[in-house]
Amino acid sequence: MGIDGVTSAGFAADITASLSPQYIREEGFLHLQPGRVTELIGVPGTGLTRLGLKLLAEPSRVAPVVALDTRGWISPEAAWETGVLAERLIIVRCDDPILWPKVTAALLDGVRAVYAEVPARIKDHDLRRLTALARARRVAVVMRSMGNGLPTGIAHLRLRALGVTWEGANRGHGKLKKRRLMLEASGRGAAGITRRFEVEDEGTDAVRVVSDVVVDQVRRAVGRAGSRSR
Amino acid sequence: MWSLIRSDAPSDEPVLVVDDRVTGATEDVLAAGVTLGMPRRDAEAMAPFATVLVRDLAEEARYFEPVVEMVENLVPRVEVMSPGLLFVPVAGAVRFYGGEGPLATGVAKDLDGLTADRRGGEALVGIADGPFAARWAAATATSDEPHVVTDTIGFLSQLDLSTLRETMGGEEMIDTFRWLGISTLGDLARLPRDTLASRFGNPGVLAHRLSTGEDRPVNSREIPPELGVQMAFEEPLESLDAVAFAGRNLAERLLKGLRAAGVAPHTVLVTAEAAFGPTRERIWRSADPFTEKALTDRMWWQLRAWVETAGVPGGIVRLSITPTDLSGEGRQLGMATDESSGIEVDRALARAQALLGPDRVLQGRAQGGRMPGERVVWSRWGEPEVERERDPDAPWPGATPSPSPALVPPRLQPIDLEWDDGMPSRIRLGSRWEPVLTWSGPWRLSGRWWAGERDADRYQLVTSVGAFLCVVSEGKAFLAGVYD
Repeated sequence: MGIDGVTSAGFAADITASLSPQYIREEGFLHLQPGRVTELIGVPGTGLTRLGLKLLAEPSRVAPVVALDTRGWISPEAAWETGVLAERLIIVRCDDPILWPKVTAALLDGVRAVYAEVPARIKDHDLRRLTALARARRVAVVMRSMGNGLPTGIAHLRLRALGVTWEGANRGHGKLKKRRLMLEASGRGAAGITRRFEVEDEGTDAVRVVSDVVVDQVRRAVGRAGSRSR
Repeated sequence: MWSLIRSDAPSDEPVLVVDDRVTGATEDVLAAGVTLGMPRRDAEAMAPFATVLVRDLAEEARYFEPVVEMVENLVPRVEVMSPGLLFVPVAGAVRFYGGEGPLATGVAKDLDGLTADRRGGEALVGIADGPFAARWAAATATSDEPHVVTDTIGFLSQLDLSTLRETMGGEEMIDTFRWLGISTLGDLARLPRDTLASRFGNPGVLAHRLSTGEDRPVNSREIPPELGVQMAFEEPLESLDAVAFAGRNLAERLLKGLRAAGVAPHTVLVTAEAAFGPTRERIWRSADPFTEKALTDRMWWQLRAWVETAGVPGGIVRLSITPTDLSGEGRQLGMATDESSGIEVDRALARAQALLGPDRVLQGRAQGGRMPGERVVWSRWGEPEVERERDPDAPWPGATPSPSPALVPPRLQPIDLEWDDGMPSRIRLGSRWEPVLTWSGPWRLSGRWWAGERDADRYQLVTSVGAFLCVVSEGKAFLAGVYD
């Protein structure tokens, strides 16, 4: 896991200063772009909620941001730990698939950045209209489907969780301290190339790219006969 | 007490009118210890015998309209602040009536004749230099005796600091003043203004101005006529829905234009031209610059009052809003913040709230506690913050350490957990069992036995698909959080 030296004890805070251009490029995946949709793919437990909330930290410095919560489980405490300003985070709870597109559209009309859990039964055409609205209003959107993923053509960048490892706990001793999440980036936001990289999260706002694991295959994201991503 | 004027208030029972706080109460309710401005929950606990009514500002405005018309007939240029409170400039009227005393007595007498037979309808009249002092002069008057303040600065110096709250908010600043030993406006007025400006910024300067009797400075610059907005209708608007829609549209247009000019209105003149009758005008005033919601509300109250009291016979054929007092105060955008987008955000969240209900658009604040679910206190967006039950700055030994789980169920969820020789071995996630790779804990959580809570143990369980926070109590396992 990782590259020699990167995980050593002396490695600290501002990692980007000492990163090679390769890592800095991957770091860009952790910044939202106005008018673009970033899709997070993975089962609960892999750390994607925290990553999605972390992506709101930067926009929250200039304007209020919204987390659209379908289960009523999102904890703002985790968002605050990742650097989202407490007074700028609004949680909107909506589990009704009929209302969800209307509520999301209302939010996209005024909010700069939204993390949205997408209920399972949302129609594809509603998602496409919302994507067009986000593009027109230049709203940065992170979507995480609670069902089978978003239809193709919605997400500018897809971040798929491949695995998660925890450090700190040891058969009753210690406590959960550091999480390493392996991600795969694909889509137009990754220049059509599938890249894998690791991010490290120590429960602070410094979620960092620590290694570019391997670029194992070059695929064209655009033009692929794709069904729904998983 | 204008809140008590409403058709559905029982005439012979104790009544409490509330929004988040008490806005009106009958004598018997006040005798039980309830005060105006008290939080609703406290008031309901102190006066459980009272009939509780939720405040209806549109209804209050409708009943207030005849009062405004009557005062307008006596003194022109009436400014309505809110239903139940209006200001009039008296400089000219004083000469006509032969002094402030006769003027105040005359107005109070006429108002009493109009409203005294209804609960909450007693007329209180105060005269002083400036709206802020006049408002509190009225508050200290009685229905028999108007309060004419001859020494405004002396009168203000005796007022409690809490009087600032209605005009400018600033709860935290007022608390800080009290902590510094400042309890009256006189104490505040003796402080150097530049010191307040450097410590509290604009709110500090405003508080000092009010306490020294300067009040909000009247902006005498000429307002370009193009800043006003109007709409003409070929078909007269008669239905309330159509009038409300037009009013909201006009309010949005006005504020959009003013925002572009970098100003905000404190006072607006609403004009409605009736198809078969006179043109109606009303000035609305606000201590803070009007927000879109505040102006839309006032348009709705005013237009509804005109329509329902047959004040616009034949319907409305022309509607206009003209700003009559503009301020650049508070419009300076922060370097690192985007204030203009804040207005759009407010609008978007208000729409979401209208779709989902107020309990679904929330803001969290940190509070103390040992479990993740306890450490957040939720408030409805746009409403006053709910008070913290536990101090977040206290040490809270035994609190679940960070990083916090990103998903926290509102209540503990039962979960299947298997043990092997006292150690967790498998956890059931949905339909499949996942082996526990490693764990930390148990951390003892002593329950509040006096509240019927049991002791419990907490575990952080790590599986190949993620980590979970579990609570085990009396042999049963519960999910308390997901480190997602």
